[in-house]
Amino acid sequence: MAARHRFSSNQNSSSGSWSISQSFASQFSNTPTKDPPEDSLNDQIAEVMSVANRDRTTEFQSVLKSIKTRQPNGVTPHANAKTPLLQRSEFSKYAKRIGTDLSKTYEKLEKLTLLCKKRTLFDDRPVEIQELTYIIKQDITSLKRQIQQLEENKTVMQTNTKRDVQRHSTSVVRTLRSKLANMSENFKSVLEVRRENMKQQKLRKDQFSSSNLSSSMPSSATQGTRGSVLLMDEQRSSNPSGSVAISMDGGDHPGRSSTQHQTMQLIDQQDSYITERAETMETIESTIVELGNIFQQLATMVKEQEEQVMRIDSNVEESELNIEAAHTEILKYFQGITSNRWLMIKVFLVLIVFFVIFVVFFA
Amino acid sequence: MVKLFSMSLLYKGPAVVIPLTSTYDLMSFNYFQRKSIQEFMTFTTQIITERTQTGQRQSVKEQEYLCHVYVREDRLTGVIIADQDYPRRVAFTILSKACEDFASKVPSKDWPYGQQANIQYNGLEPMLLKYQDPKEADAMTRVQAELDETKIVLHGTMESLLQRGEKLDDLVAKSDALSLQSKTFYKQAKKANSWCCVIQ
Repeated sequence: MAARHRFSSNQNSSSGSWSISQSFASQFSNTPTKDPPEDSLNDQIAEVMSVANRDRTTEFQSVLKSIKTRQPNGVTPHANAKTPLLQRSEFSKYAKRIGTDLSKTYEKLEKLTLLCKKRTLFDDRPVEIQELTYIIKQDITSLKRQIQQLEENKTVMQTNTKRDVQRHSTSVVRTLRSKLANMSENFKSVLEVRRENMKQQKLRKDQFSSSNLSSSMPSSATQGTRGSVLLMDEQRSSNPSGSVAISMDGGDHPGRSSTQHQTMQLIDQQDSYITERAETMETIESTIVELGNIFQQLATMVKEQEEQVMRIDSNVEESELNIEAAHTEILKYFQGITSNRWLMIKVFLVLIVFFVIFVVFFA
Repeated sequence: MVKLFSMSLLYKGPAVVIPLTSTYDLMSFNYFQRKSIQEFMTFTTQIITERTQTGQRQSVKEQEYLCHVYVREDRLTGVIIADQDYPRRVAFTILSKACEDFASKVPSKDWPYGQQANIQYNGLEPMLLKYQDPKEADAMTRVQAELDETKIVLHGTMESLLQRGEKLDDLVAKSDALSLQSKTFYKQAKKANSWCCVIQ
């Protein structure tokens, strides 16, 4: 049991001293002695405290094996033939590896975020984004698996270690898990941002393309392509299915641009049909919204023209009044004239006078 | 032009693919080519079904035709051969419908052993005829088409509304002129009346 205590005390010291003790163990293991080899090993280990960093784990393991063979019924073998200290260092190494993988995946996620945040209309690079998304997905699943393995290792190891060591390993696993959960959250939000951006782009493309819509009928049959009038997305997104050699023409369809690309074929093969349907529904919905808009505009225009009509109406009424009044005046005038005999006689007299004067002068 | 050439249902057994029923519409081809084309289509459907996994939908391009295949979870497979313009989504909708119909009419224990002769199912031909037009098959295509028509009509309405606006503007101007003239007329008449009295 002394060996075990010594081992666990060494656990808390630096790994350098441990490797030194390993080197001594290897040196002394080759000399066969009559003493119980474990005790001699412990003495050597206790004496050595200098610092030299060489990893001699394999040598130590060979030592252990040789020790075991020398004592056929002395030491009860461990459940998994590893000392707790070895398990511990393995655990920390594994945890370190997981940590580095996690940080690498974080970097990739950052790159993806940068790519997705771009909002330019044509500089979009769905190829890279898809690839990066795929890689990050793979990484997350593998990290999950690794953490699972780590946890299993920890539970296996737990039977031979002290309580605070157990607590330490539990907290390590928990930290890694929470980091992974954080990263998956970020990943999800980045994907959502990406989707939003694609919607925005589609809106903007529609603005450019909608001026063509009034003259031509957009092809009603959807071929499941999500090309827009502007060519780029059409060409890039022309292949959503997972077939050997499919080629589909983009219709003149005001649908939104596809998020599928050939690198994602294998994953989204089954999804593409459903995605197509969903997109068709969205198209229908947007068409209906447009129609509503058009009706609204119609109503506004009619209302505006209503005012014109009122103006015309008032003008015509006014002119009618005027004409009536003038008509009355003339009637009065006419009556004044016809029933005025005295005026008639005067007019005729004047006429005759002038006639006479003319004739006299002429003749 | 959108056109369906053939529809067939098969059973994709673990080792071999068994054709259950099929129907062809080869009116557009030469009379002498029809037989070879039919054989070719049968062969293609067989090969493609073998290459597709369960629960998958696939579309394969073959010269100018598209072959859509859908293997259901219970291994009943439907294959449609259509031309390039036929919308993919509608083709898969038709396949799902046909498989459902077949599954309801023919009991599933017959499938692994059926031969073309024993399976009593004649639903495929009317379907093929009916679904030549994708609008029939798919409600969404229909709705889409109607919406587009409505949009066209509305655009026309907007145009006529604009013309109406122009005409109304014209009328406003003319009625304005009319009222001015009538005012002048009235004034003249008044003047004439008063001038007459002066003469008196």
